[in-house]
Amino acid sequence: MPARITAAEFETEVLGAEVPVLADFYSDSCIPCKRMSPILSQLETEYAGKLKIVKINTNFESDLTEKYGVLAAPTLILFKNGEEVSRIRGAVKKDEIIKIL
Amino acid sequence: MYDIIILGSGPAGLTAAIYASRAGLKFAVIEKEYLGTGQIAFAERVDNYPGFYGTDGYSLGEKLREHAETLGTEFIEGEVAALAKSGSVWNISLSDGGKLEAKAVIYALGASPRKLGIKGESEYLGRGVSYCALCDGAFFAGKTVAVIGGGDTALSDALYLSKTAEKVYLIHRRDTFRANKTLSDKVKAADNIELVLNAVPTEIAGGENAEIIIITHDGTSRAVAVSGIFVAVGTVPNTALVKGIAELDETGYIKAGEDCVTAAAGLFAAGDVRTKNVRQVITAAADGANAVISAGKYLDNYQ
Repeated sequence: MPARITAAEFETEVLGAEVPVLADFYSDSCIPCKRMSPILSQLETEYAGKLKIVKINTNFESDLTEKYGVLAAPTLILFKNGEEVSRIRGAVKKDEIIKIL
Repeated sequence: MYDIIILGSGPAGLTAAIYASRAGLKFAVIEKEYLGTGQIAFAERVDNYPGFYGTDGYSLGEKLREHAETLGTEFIEGEVAALAKSGSVWNISLSDGGKLEAKAVIYALGASPRKLGIKGESEYLGRGVSYCALCDGAFFAGKTVAVIGGGDTALSDALYLSKTAEKVYLIHRRDTFRANKTLSDKVKAADNIELVLNAVPTEIAGGENAEIIIITHDGTSRAVAVSGIFVAVGTVPNTALVKGIAELDETGYIKAGEDCVTAAAGLFAAGDVRTKNVRQVITAAADGANAVISAGKYLDNYQ
Protein backbone atom coordinates (compact mmCIF):
# COMPACT_ATOMS: atom_id res chain seq x y z
CA MET A 1 0.00 0.00 0.00
CA PRO A 2 1.41 3.42 -0.93
CA ALA A 3 2.86 5.34 2.01
CA ARG A 4 1.31 8.54 3.29
CA ILE A 5 3.71 11.47 3.34
CA THR A 6 3.58 14.91 4.94
CA ALA A 7 4.43 18.35 3.56
CA ALA A 8 7.84 18.12 5.27
CA GLU A 9 8.70 15.00 3.27
CA PHE A 10 7.29 16.27 -0.04
CA GLU A 11 10.53 17.89 -1.22
CA THR A 12 12.65 14.75 -0.91
CA GLU A 13 10.02 12.07 -1.50
CA VAL A 14 8.34 13.67 -4.50
CA LEU A 15 10.25 16.58 -6.04
CA GLY A 16 13.68 15.04 -5.48
CA ALA A 17 12.79 11.47 -6.38
CA GLU A 18 14.77 9.68 -9.07
CA VAL A 19 11.75 7.89 -10.51
CA PRO A 20 8.40 9.44 -11.54
CA VAL A 21 6.06 9.93 -8.59
CA LEU A 22 2.29 9.62 -8.63
CA ALA A 23 0.87 11.69 -5.76
CA ASP A 24 -2.63 10.77 -4.63
CA PHE A 25 -4.32 13.73 -2.96
CA TYR A 26 -7.10 12.04 -0.98
CA SER A 27 -9.34 12.61 2.01
CA ASP A 28 -10.73 10.22 4.60
CA SER A 29 -14.37 11.15 4.02
CA CYS A 30 -14.10 10.56 0.27
CA ILE A 31 -15.58 7.28 -0.97
CA PRO A 32 -14.13 7.51 -4.50
CA CYS A 33 -10.71 7.81 -2.80
CA LYS A 34 -11.33 4.55 -0.92
CA ARG A 35 -12.28 2.91 -4.21
CA MET A 36 -8.99 4.03 -5.77
CA SER A 37 -6.91 2.65 -2.93
CA PRO A 38 -6.69 -1.03 -4.02
CA ILE A 39 -5.98 0.08 -7.61
CA LEU A 40 -3.05 2.22 -6.47
CA SER A 41 -1.73 -0.69 -4.40
CA GLN A 42 -1.80 -2.90 -7.49
CA LEU A 43 0.01 -0.27 -9.56
CA GLU A 44 2.65 0.11 -6.85
CA THR A 45 3.45 -3.61 -7.15
CA GLU A 46 3.21 -3.74 -10.94
CA TYR A 47 5.44 -0.69 -11.44
CA ALA A 48 7.88 -1.41 -8.60
CA GLY A 49 11.22 0.33 -9.21
CA LYS A 50 9.82 2.41 -12.10
CA LEU A 51 7.26 4.49 -10.28
CA LYS A 52 6.73 5.68 -6.75
CA ILE A 53 3.24 6.26 -5.40
CA VAL A 54 2.58 8.44 -2.35
CA LYS A 55 -0.59 9.49 -0.60
CA ILE A 56 -1.25 13.01 0.65
CA ASN A 57 -4.11 13.52 3.08
CA THR A 58 -5.76 16.77 2.02
CA ASN A 59 -7.40 17.24 5.42
CA PHE A 60 -3.98 17.64 7.02
CA GLU A 61 -1.89 19.08 4.18
CA SER A 62 -3.86 22.14 3.18
CA ASP A 63 -0.68 24.03 2.21
CA LEU A 64 0.25 21.41 -0.39
CA THR A 65 -3.34 21.16 -1.55
CA GLU A 66 -3.50 24.91 -2.02
CA LYS A 67 -0.07 25.12 -3.65
CA TYR A 68 -1.08 22.59 -6.31
CA GLY A 69 -4.61 23.98 -6.72
CA VAL A 70 -6.29 20.70 -5.86
CA LEU A 71 -10.09 21.13 -5.92
CA ALA A 72 -11.30 17.53 -6.20
CA ALA A 73 -10.63 14.35 -4.29
CA PRO A 74 -9.03 12.16 -5.39
CA THR A 75 -6.61 14.13 -7.56
CA LEU A 76 -3.65 12.23 -8.97
CA ILE A 77 -0.64 14.30 -9.98
CA LEU A 78 2.28 12.74 -11.82
CA PHE A 79 5.66 14.36 -11.12
CA LYS A 80 8.80 13.79 -13.17
CA ASN A 81 12.07 15.43 -12.10
CA GLY A 82 10.20 17.66 -9.69
CA GLU A 83 7.74 18.95 -12.27
CA GLU A 84 4.04 18.20 -12.65
CA VAL A 85 3.56 16.48 -15.99
CA SER A 86 0.02 15.17 -15.74
CA ARG A 87 -3.08 15.35 -13.60
CA ILE A 88 -6.27 13.34 -13.16
CA ARG A 89 -9.22 14.91 -11.33
CA GLY A 90 -11.65 12.46 -9.72
CA ALA A 91 -11.70 8.67 -9.54
CA VAL A 92 -10.93 6.83 -12.77
CA LYS A 93 -10.35 3.29 -13.97
CA LYS A 94 -6.93 1.67 -13.68
CA ASP A 95 -6.40 1.85 -17.46
CA GLU A 96 -6.77 5.61 -17.41
CA ILE A 97 -4.02 5.93 -14.81
CA ILE A 98 -1.75 3.63 -16.82
CA LYS A 99 -2.28 5.89 -19.86
CA ILE A 100 -0.58 8.87 -18.17
CA LEU A 101 2.36 6.88 -16.76
CA MET B 1 -23.54 -18.95 -21.72
CA TYR B 2 -24.66 -17.65 -18.35
CA ASP B 3 -28.10 -18.34 -16.91
CA ILE B 4 -28.21 -14.80 -15.55
CA ILE B 5 -26.04 -11.75 -16.01
CA ILE B 6 -26.60 -9.17 -13.30
CA LEU B 7 -25.83 -5.63 -14.40
CA GLY B 8 -24.82 -3.47 -11.44
CA SER B 9 -23.18 -4.14 -8.07
CA GLY B 10 -25.28 -1.97 -5.76
CA PRO B 11 -27.61 -3.42 -3.11
CA ALA B 12 -30.06 -4.73 -5.75
CA GLY B 13 -27.36 -6.41 -7.86
CA LEU B 14 -25.53 -7.85 -4.84
CA THR B 15 -28.74 -9.24 -3.36
CA ALA B 16 -29.59 -10.77 -6.74
CA ALA B 17 -26.14 -12.39 -6.66
CA ILE B 18 -26.83 -13.88 -3.21
CA TYR B 19 -30.13 -15.37 -4.40
CA ALA B 20 -28.72 -16.56 -7.74
CA SER B 21 -25.87 -18.28 -5.96
CA ARG B 22 -28.21 -20.06 -3.55
CA ALA B 23 -30.37 -21.11 -6.51
CA GLY B 24 -27.34 -22.81 -8.04
CA LEU B 25 -27.44 -20.72 -11.21
CA LYS B 26 -24.53 -19.88 -13.47
CA PHE B 27 -24.26 -16.12 -13.13
CA ALA B 28 -21.94 -13.13 -12.94
CA VAL B 29 -22.16 -9.51 -11.80
CA ILE B 30 -20.96 -6.72 -14.06
CA GLU B 31 -19.57 -3.84 -12.02
CA LYS B 32 -18.77 -0.47 -13.56
CA GLU B 33 -16.40 0.44 -10.77
CA TYR B 34 -13.78 -1.94 -9.35
CA LEU B 35 -15.15 -3.21 -5.99
CA GLY B 36 -18.04 -0.75 -6.27
CA THR B 37 -21.27 -0.98 -4.29
CA GLY B 38 -23.33 1.76 -5.91
CA GLN B 39 -24.79 4.93 -4.46
CA ILE B 40 -25.18 3.55 -0.94
CA ALA B 41 -21.43 3.93 -0.37
CA PHE B 42 -21.93 7.69 -0.38
CA ALA B 43 -24.52 7.77 2.40
CA GLU B 44 -22.95 9.21 5.51
CA ARG B 45 -25.29 7.29 7.76
CA VAL B 46 -27.96 4.62 7.22
CA ASP B 47 -30.42 4.26 10.05
CA ASN B 48 -33.29 2.50 8.30
CA TYR B 49 -31.84 -0.82 7.21
CA PRO B 50 -32.99 -3.41 9.73
CA GLY B 51 -30.25 -4.93 11.85
CA PHE B 52 -27.66 -2.26 10.99
CA TYR B 53 -28.70 0.77 13.03
CA GLY B 54 -26.09 3.53 12.99
CA THR B 55 -24.00 2.15 10.14
CA ASP B 56 -22.53 4.27 7.37
CA GLY B 57 -23.42 3.46 3.78
CA TYR B 58 -19.90 2.49 2.78
CA SER B 59 -19.67 -0.20 5.49
CA LEU B 60 -23.12 -1.54 4.67
CA GLY B 61 -22.14 -1.80 1.00
CA GLU B 62 -18.95 -3.67 1.94
CA LYS B 63 -21.00 -6.11 4.06
CA LEU B 64 -23.36 -6.79 1.15
CA ARG B 65 -20.45 -7.29 -1.17
CA GLU B 66 -18.63 -9.60 1.24
CA HIS B 67 -21.81 -11.67 1.53
CA ALA B 68 -22.06 -12.04 -2.25
CA GLU B 69 -18.31 -12.81 -2.52
CA THR B 70 -18.48 -15.47 0.20
CA LEU B 71 -21.16 -17.27 -1.80
CA GLY B 72 -18.81 -17.39 -4.79
CA THR B 73 -20.01 -14.52 -6.96
CA GLU B 74 -18.03 -13.88 -10.13
CA PHE B 75 -17.49 -10.15 -10.64
CA ILE B 76 -16.59 -8.75 -14.04
CA GLU B 77 -15.32 -5.17 -14.17
CA GLY B 78 -16.77 -3.33 -17.11
CA GLU B 79 -19.17 -0.70 -18.30
CA VAL B 80 -22.11 -2.01 -20.28
CA ALA B 81 -22.10 -0.35 -23.70
CA ALA B 82 -25.02 -2.17 -25.32
CA LEU B 83 -27.70 -4.69 -24.53
CA ALA B 84 -29.57 -6.60 -27.26
CA LYS B 85 -31.53 -9.79 -27.65
CA SER B 86 -31.13 -12.14 -30.58
CA GLY B 87 -33.61 -14.98 -30.53
CA SER B 88 -33.76 -15.96 -26.89
CA VAL B 89 -30.17 -14.97 -26.07
CA TRP B 90 -29.23 -11.68 -24.44
CA ASN B 91 -25.98 -10.17 -25.75
CA ILE B 92 -24.14 -7.81 -23.43
CA SER B 93 -21.36 -5.69 -24.91
CA LEU B 94 -18.85 -3.96 -22.64
CA SER B 95 -17.10 -0.71 -23.46
CA ASP B 96 -13.69 -2.45 -23.47
CA GLY B 97 -14.93 -4.73 -26.27
CA GLY B 98 -15.85 -7.69 -24.03
CA LYS B 99 -18.97 -9.67 -24.96
CA LEU B 100 -21.16 -11.90 -22.79
CA GLU B 101 -24.21 -14.05 -23.41
CA ALA B 102 -27.00 -14.88 -21.00
CA LYS B 103 -30.42 -16.47 -20.95
CA ALA B 104 -31.71 -13.75 -18.60
CA VAL B 105 -30.56 -10.30 -17.51
CA ILE B 106 -31.17 -8.57 -14.21
CA TYR B 107 -30.86 -4.87 -14.86
CA ALA B 108 -29.80 -3.10 -11.66
CA LEU B 109 -27.74 -0.14 -12.86
CA GLY B 110 -29.17 2.30 -10.32
CA ALA B 111 -29.17 6.05 -10.70
CA SER B 112 -26.59 8.81 -11.12
CA PRO B 113 -26.50 12.41 -9.91
CA ARG B 114 -28.61 14.65 -12.12
CA LYS B 115 -26.66 17.34 -13.92
CA LEU B 116 -27.75 20.96 -14.16
CA GLY B 117 -27.16 20.93 -17.88
CA ILE B 118 -25.86 24.50 -17.97
CA LYS B 119 -22.89 26.14 -19.62
CA GLY B 120 -19.63 25.65 -17.75
CA GLU B 121 -20.83 22.71 -15.66
CA SER B 122 -18.78 19.98 -17.31
CA GLU B 123 -15.91 22.33 -18.13
CA TYR B 124 -15.38 23.13 -14.44
CA LEU B 125 -15.95 19.62 -13.07
CA GLY B 126 -13.12 19.06 -10.57
CA ARG B 127 -12.18 22.74 -10.92
CA GLY B 128 -14.87 24.03 -8.61
CA VAL B 129 -17.91 22.01 -9.69
CA SER B 130 -18.57 18.96 -7.53
CA TYR B 131 -21.32 16.39 -6.95
CA CYS B 132 -19.83 15.28 -3.62
CA ALA B 133 -19.61 17.71 -0.72
CA LEU B 134 -18.08 15.08 1.56
CA CYS B 135 -15.30 14.48 -0.96
CA ASP B 136 -14.41 18.00 -1.93
CA GLY B 137 -15.78 20.28 0.80
CA ALA B 138 -12.42 20.63 2.54
CA PHE B 139 -10.89 22.39 -0.47
CA PHE B 140 -13.23 25.31 0.04
CA ALA B 141 -12.52 26.02 3.69
CA GLY B 142 -12.72 29.77 4.30
CA LYS B 143 -14.19 30.34 0.82
CA THR B 144 -17.63 31.08 -0.59
CA VAL B 145 -19.56 28.23 -2.17
CA ALA B 146 -22.97 27.58 -3.69
CA VAL B 147 -25.13 24.52 -3.21
CA ILE B 148 -27.85 23.87 -5.79
CA GLY B 149 -30.98 21.96 -4.82
CA GLY B 150 -33.73 21.71 -2.23
CA GLY B 151 -33.82 18.08 -1.12
CA ASP B 152 -32.22 16.23 1.79
CA THR B 153 -28.88 15.90 0.02
CA ALA B 154 -28.66 19.59 -0.90
CA LEU B 155 -29.52 20.77 2.60
CA SER B 156 -27.21 18.36 4.39
CA ASP B 157 -24.45 19.37 1.95
CA ALA B 158 -25.11 23.03 2.74
CA LEU B 159 -24.89 22.35 6.48
CA TYR B 160 -21.74 20.27 6.10
CA LEU B 161 -20.07 23.00 4.01
CA SER B 162 -21.21 25.80 6.34
CA LYS B 163 -18.94 24.40 9.05
CA THR B 164 -15.78 25.16 7.06
CA ALA B 165 -16.73 27.59 4.27
CA GLU B 166 -16.96 31.31 4.91
CA LYS B 167 -20.34 31.52 3.26
CA VAL B 168 -22.78 29.16 1.56
CA TYR B 169 -25.43 30.22 -0.96
CA LEU B 170 -28.23 27.69 -1.15
CA ILE B 171 -29.88 28.10 -4.54
CA HIS B 172 -33.25 26.47 -5.04
CA ARG B 173 -35.80 26.82 -7.82
CA ARG B 174 -38.84 26.87 -5.46
CA ASP B 175 -39.64 28.78 -2.29
CA THR B 176 -40.05 25.66 -0.16
CA PHE B 177 -37.70 22.73 0.43
CA ARG B 178 -38.43 19.08 -0.24
CA ALA B 179 -35.93 18.20 2.49
CA ASN B 180 -37.14 17.07 5.92
CA LYS B 181 -38.07 19.68 8.53
CA THR B 182 -35.11 19.02 10.85
CA LEU B 183 -32.69 19.82 8.03
CA SER B 184 -34.68 22.86 6.84
CA ASP B 185 -34.75 24.30 10.36
CA LYS B 186 -31.02 23.82 10.81
CA VAL B 187 -30.27 25.44 7.45
CA LYS B 188 -32.49 28.43 8.22
CA ALA B 189 -30.77 28.83 11.60
CA ALA B 190 -27.23 28.73 10.18
CA ASP B 191 -25.60 32.20 10.19
CA ASN B 192 -23.51 31.76 7.08
CA ILE B 193 -26.07 30.11 4.79
CA GLU B 194 -27.89 32.55 2.51
CA LEU B 195 -31.03 31.23 0.86
CA VAL B 196 -31.53 32.18 -2.78
CA LEU B 197 -35.03 30.93 -3.54
CA ASN B 198 -37.14 30.83 -6.71
CA ALA B 199 -33.87 31.06 -8.56
CA VAL B 200 -32.10 28.88 -11.11
CA PRO B 201 -28.41 28.78 -12.03
CA THR B 202 -27.91 29.45 -15.72
CA GLU B 203 -24.13 29.51 -16.21
CA ILE B 204 -20.84 28.77 -14.47
CA ALA B 205 -17.86 30.84 -15.53
CA GLY B 206 -14.29 31.54 -14.49
CA GLY B 207 -10.66 31.17 -15.53
CA GLU B 208 -8.62 28.04 -14.75
CA ASN B 209 -11.13 27.33 -11.96
CA ALA B 210 -14.77 28.28 -11.50
CA GLU B 211 -15.23 31.82 -10.14
CA ILE B 212 -18.79 32.86 -10.87
CA ILE B 213 -22.27 31.38 -10.98
CA ILE B 214 -24.98 33.25 -12.84
CA ILE B 215 -28.38 33.04 -11.19
CA THR B 216 -31.66 33.93 -12.86
CA HIS B 217 -34.50 35.09 -10.68
CA ASP B 218 -37.78 36.60 -11.93
CA GLY B 219 -36.31 37.15 -15.37
CA THR B 220 -33.26 39.04 -14.14
CA SER B 221 -29.77 37.60 -13.92
CA ARG B 222 -26.96 38.31 -11.53
CA ALA B 223 -23.45 36.96 -11.14
CA VAL B 224 -22.41 35.64 -7.74
CA ALA B 225 -18.72 35.12 -6.95
CA VAL B 226 -18.10 31.60 -5.63
CA SER B 227 -15.13 29.23 -5.54
CA GLY B 228 -17.13 26.02 -5.34
CA ILE B 229 -20.45 24.87 -6.79
CA PHE B 230 -22.00 21.75 -5.26
CA VAL B 231 -24.77 20.24 -7.35
CA ALA B 232 -27.42 18.17 -5.51
CA VAL B 233 -30.49 18.20 -7.73
CA GLY B 234 -31.53 14.58 -7.43
CA THR B 235 -30.72 11.56 -9.52
CA VAL B 236 -31.63 10.11 -12.89
CA PRO B 237 -32.10 6.37 -13.49
CA ASN B 238 -29.42 4.74 -15.64
CA THR B 239 -31.86 3.30 -18.13
CA ALA B 240 -30.57 4.63 -21.47
CA LEU B 241 -29.46 1.10 -22.44
CA VAL B 242 -32.99 -0.33 -22.39
CA LYS B 243 -34.73 2.42 -24.35
CA GLY B 244 -36.61 0.65 -27.11
CA ILE B 245 -36.17 -2.73 -25.34
CA ALA B 246 -38.22 -2.38 -22.17
CA GLU B 247 -41.03 0.07 -21.45
CA LEU B 248 -40.07 3.24 -19.59
CA ASP B 249 -42.31 5.71 -17.81
CA GLU B 250 -42.19 9.44 -18.64
CA THR B 251 -39.40 10.04 -16.09
CA GLY B 252 -37.20 7.25 -17.42
CA TYR B 253 -37.87 4.46 -14.92
CA ILE B 254 -38.37 0.92 -16.23
CA LYS B 255 -41.99 -0.14 -15.89
CA ALA B 256 -42.07 -3.25 -13.70
CA GLY B 257 -43.99 -4.44 -10.67
CA GLU B 258 -42.76 -6.08 -7.49
CA ASP B 259 -41.88 -9.20 -9.52
CA CYS B 260 -39.41 -7.04 -11.50
CA VAL B 261 -40.80 -8.41 -14.78
CA THR B 262 -40.39 -5.92 -17.66
CA ALA B 263 -41.98 -5.70 -21.09
CA ALA B 264 -38.96 -7.57 -22.52
CA ALA B 265 -38.97 -11.34 -21.93
CA GLY B 266 -35.95 -12.39 -19.86
CA LEU B 267 -35.12 -8.85 -18.71
CA PHE B 268 -35.79 -8.06 -15.06
CA ALA B 269 -35.49 -4.59 -13.51
CA ALA B 270 -34.27 -4.30 -9.91
CA GLY B 271 -33.55 -1.39 -7.57
CA ASP B 272 -33.62 2.32 -8.34
CA VAL B 273 -34.20 1.78 -12.08
CA ARG B 274 -37.68 0.35 -11.49
CA THR B 275 -41.00 2.22 -11.12
CA LYS B 276 -41.77 2.15 -7.39
CA ASN B 277 -42.76 4.35 -4.48
CA VAL B 278 -39.78 3.94 -2.16
CA ARG B 279 -36.18 3.91 -3.36
CA GLN B 280 -34.06 2.76 -0.42
CA VAL B 281 -31.56 -0.02 0.28
CA ILE B 282 -34.27 -2.25 1.67
CA THR B 283 -36.47 -2.04 -1.42
CA ALA B 284 -33.41 -2.49 -3.66
CA ALA B 285 -32.51 -5.65 -1.74
CA ALA B 286 -36.09 -6.88 -2.00
CA ASP B 287 -36.00 -6.33 -5.76
CA GLY B 288 -32.77 -8.32 -6.03
CA ALA B 289 -34.51 -11.30 -4.43
CA ASN B 290 -37.70 -10.95 -6.46
CA ALA B 291 -35.81 -10.52 -9.73
CA VAL B 292 -33.97 -13.83 -9.25
CA ILE B 293 -37.17 -15.67 -8.35
CA SER B 294 -38.85 -14.27 -11.49
CA ALA B 295 -35.79 -15.06 -13.59
CA GLY B 296 -35.82 -18.60 -12.18
CA LYS B 297 -39.40 -19.09 -13.38
CA TYR B 298 -38.42 -17.71 -16.80
CA LEU B 299 -35.46 -20.12 -16.98
CA ASP B 300 -37.68 -23.10 -16.09
CA ASN B 301 -39.54 -22.56 -19.36
CA TYR B 302 -36.52 -21.35 -21.34
CA GLN B 303 -36.11 -22.60 -24.87
